[in-house]
Amino acid sequence: MQLRLQRRCVLAAALAVALALTLIPTAGAWSTRIYWWQRNMAPNSPAADWSAHNHTYNELYFGPNAGWASQVWEVTPAGYRHFDKRCVGNCFNRHPGYYYTYSFCANRAGSSHFVYNCMDEW
Amino acid sequence: MTRRRTSKRVLLVALLVAAATLAGILTQLGLGGSDRIEIGNGSVSALARVARSADTLPASILAYPFAGRNFASAKGAGSRLLQTQGSLSLFAVPGKGGMLCLIEIDSVAETAGGTCANRDVLRTGSIYMADRQEDGSRLIVGLVGDGHTYAEADGKRTRVDNNAFVLRGVDGSDFTVGSPTAAQTVDIGD
Repeated sequence: MQLRLQRRCVLAAALAVALALTLIPTAGAWSTRIYWWQRNMAPNSPAADWSAHNHTYNELYFGPNAGWASQVWEVTPAGYRHFDKRCVGNCFNRHPGYYYTYSFCANRAGSSHFVYNCMDEW
Repeated sequence: MTRRRTSKRVLLVALLVAAATLAGILTQLGLGGSDRIEIGNGSVSALARVARSADTLPASILAYPFAGRNFASAKGAGSRLLQTQGSLSLFAVPGKGGMLCLIEIDSVAETAGGTCANRDVLRTGSIYMADRQEDGSRLIVGLVGDGHTYAEADGKRTRVDNNAFVLRGVDGSDFTVGSPTAAQTVDIGD
């Protein structure tokens, strides 16, 4: 009887460990999720403006104390990506106007931080 | 008999909880959490040195909306030129509310960029920018705190100079910054 209980305990503990290892995420695993916003949008609203411009300036602003992974980039109507800048927190990218593009901003931290501004100029 | 069975069940449940907790702790210590290794205290000695004329930010940078939103001073007071490599110049600028900013200017490509983040980022990594180049590789420039001595990507290592580094032609999705005794890996994505 005692032996049978110990076997059950060992089996149950092994199952619990396996389950925990499966369910508990390792640090950094969240970073695969990307939240993004298109240019000149109100915070957290869905993408709305799909007019391409000859951009020269893109900026993403979360507010003070930003410290998570972020990104600004542009995509041509044909789907080619240009001026892709990965950064930390608030960032901007100034460049010559080579292409007609849509511009985008992203919070790459994997959580929906408040975006104060995702703007561009052309 | 019933009481004995109940106590065994309680013991079993307690054992399960203990095992799950232990597994969770081991998971975090062994497989995750490596990005929490700390180097230094976030101080940047390059910002403390005596100012020179070359430390002044160009007026074009100060005119961007970014400067007004992020720099501690509208004139970019306290900025320091960290490095110059060819046409590329890197500046550090004190930011609002404890942020620090890194500015890159390429006079030939006619490009500029900047990033501002909480100073605490420097303890666990770098305030960096990774710019995708036309050939698909990335140019990574970074600001690191005192104590960091190198940056490395794709097996190529470069020295941290004046709290800054430049990594060119990076094809991988991460880079490492470190000291003689510790290293921190920074994920930049695909």
